[in-house]
Amino acid sequence: MTKLGQWLWGLALLGSAWAALALGPLGPRVPPPCRQVLLPLPIYLLVAFGCYSLATVGYRLATFNDCEEAAAELQEHIGAARADLRQRGLRF
Amino acid sequence: MATATDQVVGFGLVAFSLVLFVYYTVWIVILPFIDSDHGIHQYFLPREYAVIIPVVAGLLLLLFIGIFIAIVMWKNRKPAKKLD
Repeated sequence: MTKLGQWLWGLALLGSAWAALALGPLGPRVPPPCRQVLLPLPIYLLVAFGCYSLATVGYRLATFNDCEEAAAELQEHIGAARADLRQRGLRF
Repeated sequence: MATATDQVVGFGLVAFSLVLFVYYTVWIVILPFIDSDHGIHQYFLPREYAVIIPVVAGLLLLLFIGIFIAIVMWKNRKPAKKLD
């Protein structure tokens, strides 16, 4: 089975478990506060995943190291390439 | 080391998402188990908004992405060739 198939299968299982508990005939048997937590659970998981993604992006942005020498070397290469192409006749 | 701006923005994002996560978790998961006469409930909107606000925010996000794509595609359209 492909990865997409696995993910969809997992989502379908979790979704049907949630639907059975939250919307289905088992309703009255779940204690009321648990029911109140259970109903928004998919949206809560989505928001939690969004927060995790945002935090990961922010953390990696903050801890990514600048490479000064590599940047200088790259600018050198760019300058050399421009001079070479200009010499061969390409107009910028 | 990343530049100072990068660090400020990055850690700002981390702090913001942490605050958001904690607030939303307390709102959804913890409040139902607290008696309704406790003082903490005054800091939280009614629970319907815990569903409405993320849904509306998601729709707005999709709207902006769609508008952005439309603008970029509009700018990149090539004029139709004129036949002599």
